[in-house]
Amino acid sequence: MKKIIELKNITKAFDGEPVLQGINLDIYDNEFITLLGPSGCGKTTLLRLIGGFETPDEGDVVFLGQRINDVPPYKRNVNTVFQKYALFPHLNVFENVAFPLREKKVPKEEIEAKVTEMLSLVALKGFEHRSVTRLSGGQQQRVAIARALVAHPQVLLLDEPLGALDLKLRKDMQVELKKIQKQTGITFVFVTHDQEEALSMSDTVVVMSEGKIHQIGTPIDIYNEPQNAFVADFIGESNILDGIMLEDYKVSFSGQTFQCLDKDFGKNVPVDVVVRPEDVDIVPLERGQLTGVVTSVTFMGVHYEIIVDVGGFKWMIQTTDFVDVDEHIGIELEPDAIHIMKKSEYSDLYGDYSSFSNELDELSEVSEEEDE
Amino acid sequence: MKPIAKVYTAILFLFLFAPIAILLVFSFNSGNSLSVLSGFSLYWYKELFHDANTLGALRNTLVLALCAAVISTVMGTAAAVGINKLRSRSMRAAMNTVTNLPMMNPEIITGISLMLMFVFAGRLMGLATSLNFGTILIAHVTFCLPYVILQVLPKLRQMDKALPEAAMDLGCTPMGAFLKVELPEILPGVLTGMIMAFTLSLDDFVISYFTSGNGFETLPIRIYNMTKKTVTPKMYALATIIFFVILALLLVTNLMDDDAVRERKAQRRGKKEHTLSDRGKKTLAGSVMGVAAALIIVVSVAGGGNTLELNVYNWGEYISDGSDGSLDTIKDFEAWYEETYGQKVKVNYSTFASNEDMYAKLKSGAVSYDVIIPSDYMIARLAAEDMLVPLNFDNIPNYQYIEPQFRGLYYDPDDRYSVPYTYGVVGIIYDANQVDQADTGDWDLMWNPKYAGKILQFNNSRDAFGTAMYSLDLDVNTTDKAQWDRALQTLLDQRPLVKGYVMDEIFNALESGEAAIGAYYAGDYFTMVDAQADNVDLQFYYPDPTNYFIDAMCIPSCCANQDLAEIFINYMLSEEPAIANAEYIYYACPNSLVYQNETYQEDMGEEAMEILYPDTGDFAEKYNKLAYRNLSDEMLGYMNTLWENLKIN
Repeated sequence: MKKIIELKNITKAFDGEPVLQGINLDIYDNEFITLLGPSGCGKTTLLRLIGGFETPDEGDVVFLGQRINDVPPYKRNVNTVFQKYALFPHLNVFENVAFPLREKKVPKEEIEAKVTEMLSLVALKGFEHRSVTRLSGGQQQRVAIARALVAHPQVLLLDEPLGALDLKLRKDMQVELKKIQKQTGITFVFVTHDQEEALSMSDTVVVMSEGKIHQIGTPIDIYNEPQNAFVADFIGESNILDGIMLEDYKVSFSGQTFQCLDKDFGKNVPVDVVVRPEDVDIVPLERGQLTGVVTSVTFMGVHYEIIVDVGGFKWMIQTTDFVDVDEHIGIELEPDAIHIMKKSEYSDLYGDYSSFSNELDELSEVSEEEDE
Repeated sequence: MKPIAKVYTAILFLFLFAPIAILLVFSFNSGNSLSVLSGFSLYWYKELFHDANTLGALRNTLVLALCAAVISTVMGTAAAVGINKLRSRSMRAAMNTVTNLPMMNPEIITGISLMLMFVFAGRLMGLATSLNFGTILIAHVTFCLPYVILQVLPKLRQMDKALPEAAMDLGCTPMGAFLKVELPEILPGVLTGMIMAFTLSLDDFVISYFTSGNGFETLPIRIYNMTKKTVTPKMYALATIIFFVILALLLVTNLMDDDAVRERKAQRRGKKEHTLSDRGKKTLAGSVMGVAAALIIVVSVAGGGNTLELNVYNWGEYISDGSDGSLDTIKDFEAWYEETYGQKVKVNYSTFASNEDMYAKLKSGAVSYDVIIPSDYMIARLAAEDMLVPLNFDNIPNYQYIEPQFRGLYYDPDDRYSVPYTYGVVGIIYDANQVDQADTGDWDLMWNPKYAGKILQFNNSRDAFGTAMYSLDLDVNTTDKAQWDRALQTLLDQRPLVKGYVMDEIFNALESGEAAIGAYYAGDYFTMVDAQADNVDLQFYYPDPTNYFIDAMCIPSCCANQDLAEIFINYMLSEEPAIANAEYIYYACPNSLVYQNETYQEDMGEEAMEILYPDTGDFAEKYNKLAYRNLSDEMLGYMNTLWENLKIN
């Protein structure tokens, strides 16, 4: 596969505050790559570096083998879909989409043809003469995508483009975006803080926090083989426990020894143990490898989300079986349900559901976004 | 609304708009009095459009306002964009404060400091005159800038910051992004700023007064300088027109603001209402710019070419200007000069309101004039300070028509510096319907207790003390403080009888019959008679002794072309223009070509001739004895202290 963009050892700080530290990333042709991380992790700054709106303090941005650190945005063959679309209010739909072509002095007939083609690609035929201020959020989104794609950039940057849409529309747009990417064969660099979105759309996911990249991989790799407690926690729900790797394929935690599929950690090495909530089996009390008391049950539609106190550590379990609060239950773990990670600076920060609250998570996310 | 609130609102609006309503009404008055309505007429509007000097000042004002508006809009918009881009919040606040400061600053300070700067810079560059159109333009741009920034900045803040980035992302250079995307977004703010700058520049007086050079006179300055005589009702007509022009601009501005608000609301509601279209806005902006550009071109073309320049500095309304079918003296001189000498000459004519104003402007060195027309005592002072050049009378053969009695007067005993232009004698004007004929004849009328509450006194120390001293037969130029004290006592005795201490208000007070007695110049008496109410019968007589004054043409030492200045003075003495001026100004003329001319005598009428040209016996002797002279600083100070005593106690 052909490398389109290489980011080499990028460092960037604003007013002395480091925003990006030692970023190395390769982006390939025809790839749908997602930069995923919580607000303030530097993913948008990284996108702006590629777009040409920021220059790195250190390191290089390389485009098709050429260093483009100081090339201004209007000379880069890269276009952006902005978070709030940034449509030009004084121009109608047609003129918004035609804007980059007019800048390139494309002949009139060609503009007509290309804009029409683009508008049908994003299902906005017949809206040509509508004012962009009279479009719904989803329609504005499509105009923004059409405008960014019409000049055939080699890379399309998308900065949380679905953030302002409601859930149903967002799902539809995810499918549509993926379809457009397949049809046009253009490399998409997508920024989001929504892990579900990242997993469902991407070829490659880049997990970031605090200006660093934690893991680069396919969605399945990222989910099944998180490299540290941060990734495990951020991607989906995880129970993360302190454990000791006794030997290959044998790990001990919560006072029990379990079979697992991991090896090469050495003997008697402290590790983090990740167990996904949907991989935990509830069994009758006497058959359980571990036992605990149910402290809360939440109905989620497809499944129940229950919190179980096992010797003081609160587990989250997703199950279709109904159990009641205060019920004593047994827990069984298959070897492939257990994933072992090396200890990292993020150990002990995540994975215990003793103070879990969905609402709290969302609240903190909103306030972080406002800070940006 | 509660009744009280209604009344309050009514009073508020009355307060705000009554003056304008009165202005409007009087601009359509067929007479020229401010107190008597004599019927509807468009006369003053017609007069206005025949007054070349006022129209010239209007054109100057408009050109200046347009240039200032366009330049300050371009600069202010650029500055607002820069301020908006500042990342640090404290830096932005600092920039805001710095740019807003000139707006908060008292205008007079801005005016003085700008003049100082221009004069200083002019001296550094070794220029003879440092004030010109450029300096007044810079000054206007300076005080308009903050208002433009204030209008544009909020629009920039409201704008999605990603818009210019999106434009650059799609292939625009930063400049292109600004012009194609940012500018259309902030256009309502830019246009509002431009219109504000235009109106501010249009009506500025204080700063213009300090920074305008010779020959470039704006309308507000011209109106102010008319106070030697009264402000003519032409100006009411002009003010009415200006008021409605500004009203129209204001409506357009508000319409655009409404437009923007409605559009934003419509955006929120997700639909669009019909509003002033983008094209409409662009057309408006385009036409304003177009008119400005055209005017600038016209002015620069008119200003170019190999023409001589002559800068004349005179009292307001002190020359025949072509109104009412009279001769336009300045235009006529320009034409005559070109015909006679084959070269174009451009007269830059500006006006002043008092001798002291003129002196200050001349002394500042910021301007240079070729011909000035000050009063007698000021000529003595200018000569003493070496600020006048001796005239070459070979160039002024018409000087022969100045009779010997007007020569060798105290302010210029050797006839070196001055050529008399007008003269006047102070008399007493009274309303024969209120005053008994038997009480008239001398100064005692102004001290007659029978007419308590009907007597007007000068609101000016020199003239007020003058009336007292003439009535006591004292020397008005005495250095004996005891005599001044006596005069004060006389004024104190008079005070209970006095209706008011007035200057120009004397016209209305006497015309309407509110007052019955006042001292003023003979020429102005006729203005009052023209405008007097039906039940008023104004009469005039000269008490003896009384005050005499002369205004004379001189050449200041900053003159750039003395020969040309002398040719101009000689022209002003020739028959046709001299008569035109005398008929226009309505003061006595010391030129025998005028007062011996039969047509002139017929035009003026017997009564006017008698009053304007009283038989004074030996004019020079009386004049030298009775005219005001320069007082020493000490005496001036003493007089003003006494004057304050009179006004305060």
